[in-house]
Amino acid sequence: MDFALPEELIALRQSFAAFLDREVRPLEAEHAREFWGEYPDRDSLAPVVQSIRRRSAEEGFYAAYMPEEAGGQGLSVLGTTLLVEDAARSGMRLALAAIAPPNPAGPSPLLVKLPRHLWDSYVFPVVAGTTTMCFALTEPEAGSDAQSIRTKAVLEGDEWVITGHKHYITNGEHADFAIVFAVTDAEKRAAGGITAFVVPADQFRRGKLQWNLSDSHPAELYFDDARVPVDHVIGEVGMGFFEAMTFLNSGRAYIGAQSLGLAEWALDAAIDHAQKRTAFGRPLAKNQGVSFPLARSKADIEAIRWLVYHLAWRVDTEGDALGVMGDASITKYYATETAFEVADRAVQVFGGMGIMREGPVERVQRHLRMLRVVEGASEVQLLVIARTLGL
Amino acid sequence: MKIAVCVKQVPDTWAEKRLKPEDSTLDRESAEGVLNELDEYAVEEALRLIEAQGGEVVVVSMGPERAGETIRKALSMGADAGIHIVDDALHGSDAIATSAALAKALEGRGFDLILFGSESTDARMSVVPAMVAERLGLPQLTFAQKVEVDGSTVRIERQAEYGYDSIEASAPVVVSVVEKINEPRYPSFKGIMAAKKKPVDTLTVADLGLEPVTVGLAAAWSAVDEFAARPPKAAGTVIADDGAGGVKIADYLSQQKFI
Ligand SMILES: Cc1cc2nc3c(=O)[nH]c(=O)nc-3n(C[C@H](O)[C@H](O)[C@H](O)COP(=O)(O)OP(=O)(O)OC[C@H]3O[C@@H](n4cnc5c(N)ncnc54)[C@H](O)[C@@H]3O)c2cc1C
Ligand SMILES: Cc1cc2nc3c(=O)[nH]c(=O)nc-3n(C[C@H](O)[C@H](O)[C@H](O)COP(=O)(O)OP(=O)(O)OC[C@H]3O[C@@H](n4cnc5c(N)ncnc54)[C@H](O)[C@@H]3O)c2cc1C
Repeated sequence: MDFALPEELIALRQSFAAFLDREVRPLEAEHAREFWGEYPDRDSLAPVVQSIRRRSAEEGFYAAYMPEEAGGQGLSVLGTTLLVEDAARSGMRLALAAIAPPNPAGPSPLLVKLPRHLWDSYVFPVVAGTTTMCFALTEPEAGSDAQSIRTKAVLEGDEWVITGHKHYITNGEHADFAIVFAVTDAEKRAAGGITAFVVPADQFRRGKLQWNLSDSHPAELYFDDARVPVDHVIGEVGMGFFEAMTFLNSGRAYIGAQSLGLAEWALDAAIDHAQKRTAFGRPLAKNQGVSFPLARSKADIEAIRWLVYHLAWRVDTEGDALGVMGDASITKYYATETAFEVADRAVQVFGGMGIMREGPVERVQRHLRMLRVVEGASEVQLLVIARTLGL
Repeated sequence: MKIAVCVKQVPDTWAEKRLKPEDSTLDRESAEGVLNELDEYAVEEALRLIEAQGGEVVVVSMGPERAGETIRKALSMGADAGIHIVDDALHGSDAIATSAALAKALEGRGFDLILFGSESTDARMSVVPAMVAERLGLPQLTFAQKVEVDGSTVRIERQAEYGYDSIEASAPVVVSVVEKINEPRYPSFKGIMAAKKKPVDTLTVADLGLEPVTVGLAAAWSAVDEFAARPPKAAGTVIADDGAGGVKIADYLSQQKFI
């Protein structure tokens, strides 16, 4: 057993850290006030996010996990995990734009299952950060129970015609195209009857934005006889769920990594505050009522870290195999739930500043609250874990 | 075009630097070693030149074993090969000895262009490029904020307080660069992996044909006799605002001749 990180990944982390410091930190400082408003000023921030995404893609960080033939760097899941962690740990909101996962706006590894002649439209630009996408699975009547989706696709001549309504779709507002899951065989459903399509934005209608407690607001998407050529299928017709499963485990590692990084940032901020802030004539940290919760947070963070790194390592060594699913669920469940508690303790240590928009930890807790619901809510992860126990 | 870039490993700019009590030299182990910032600009400039005109970039560094990391970093940015001058006898070398070692390593390898940062962030003497040029008998174009290579003519804009001077010389030539020249790239994962396979030659004082007594601490022309830690910050003056706080602050500032 060797827990040491490979030296090339240590070098990559340093390189990414330099990028964040030199190119993102000044922008974060310049735009800090825009994040504090009632709602962040999305219009003025969008171009900033876009420029960071493109610069990071140019330098090879943003979509490093994509294969080299797709314009990526062929970076391992462990390597990507470390970059996702470091972006979150930097405490900079804009750093999250510098690395694609776990934001579904960045290139999905599923895209390489498109036929080669479509790569110029759907693979290279999104890897270069010049376009973005979205991942449209959830519907008003099908969330956790994703195989109950109603959106359907019918083959008419050499076109697929897609009809349906999706909601809660991250980056639905800006996406240049969507990966859309639709029923192609109502009998088979998840067992060979759901297909993943790539659909350009001119074929769907964007509904209302869905404001929520996190800083990422998904959108409704309407497919009213959306038409795509017959080749716009990801992998095999009917195998959409199986194709999506191939990258489920790495996706969960990245959610875990972001939770880890945010928890580390929240703890570091709380430690600093507890040492500097005095009450009753001494630093807050001198009270065990303050220091013990932070000590617990440290123990929690180390547990999250090794679950996340271990999952990433398993995916790298075994492939995104079905056998890894139990670990992926354990990691997603434990990392998001535990990091949320770490953030909650940090909020408490900050007192009033803890719940202020302009403080360092308020948004962290809101983001983590969201992560407990998306990409398979905690209960769905427990369901998977229970199944691995034969329950 | 064959370009050499001399790069130095320095303690991280943000780290607290310490001198070793036993021989008054910099304690290089106590802080993270990084590629001297200005040398990153020199590497970047070399890479841009060969990307435009074709050629090869060799990085040259003198420093202890761990300076190998710095060479690796330059290779992961895209340089082709490295030369590492490493020998215990070199410990404590002054600028004169450093330039002698670098000149020996560079000599006779057919470089058209020898690039330097214009200053290291640790010792900051800003003399090594000129000394190397002198030893090799080459023209020196220093403090370049822009470099152009046109056949065998090398033209630079030399940064000056009033703007810049345009100067040129025929290759082979020594050039040192300033920060304004470019934005260095960050090593990518592909670059880091590729660097692992790139060749790095190590050279000792004997390989260079230098006499060990001419380099190192004992041979330095000047020596550090004594040093003291920077005194801790003294407590500031606190003015309590009893209604006339503003006036008192203004008085204080004028006493100190700030206003
Ligand atoms: C901000 C945000 C962004 C999102 N982005 C995307 C996106 O980009 N693409 C996309 O396709 N979807 C996206 N989603 C949808 C998200 O994946 C779903 O909201 C999530 O899967 C839960 O589905 P639901 O909201 O329909 O809740 P439901 O499925 O109705 O679940 C409600 C509650 O019941 C629990 N529950 C359900 N079944 C069981 C069970 N068998 N046993 C015990 N408990 C159970 C759930 O865990 C949950 O707590 C996003 C959602 C949000 C809020
Ligand atoms: C605390 C301290 C005390 C010192 N005391 C003395 C002393 O008493 N007498 C004395 O003469 N010197 C002394 N030195 C200077 C030390 O020997 C210098 O580090 C060395 O001579 C190189 O000079 P520089 O770093 O100032 O280079 P600069 O001239 O500032 O560097 C310019 C460029 O030269 C190149 N370069 C410099 N060094 C190397 C290298 N090792 N390998 C490859 N390229 C290089 C780089 O491109 C660099 O950007 C001291 C240094 C320190 C930190």
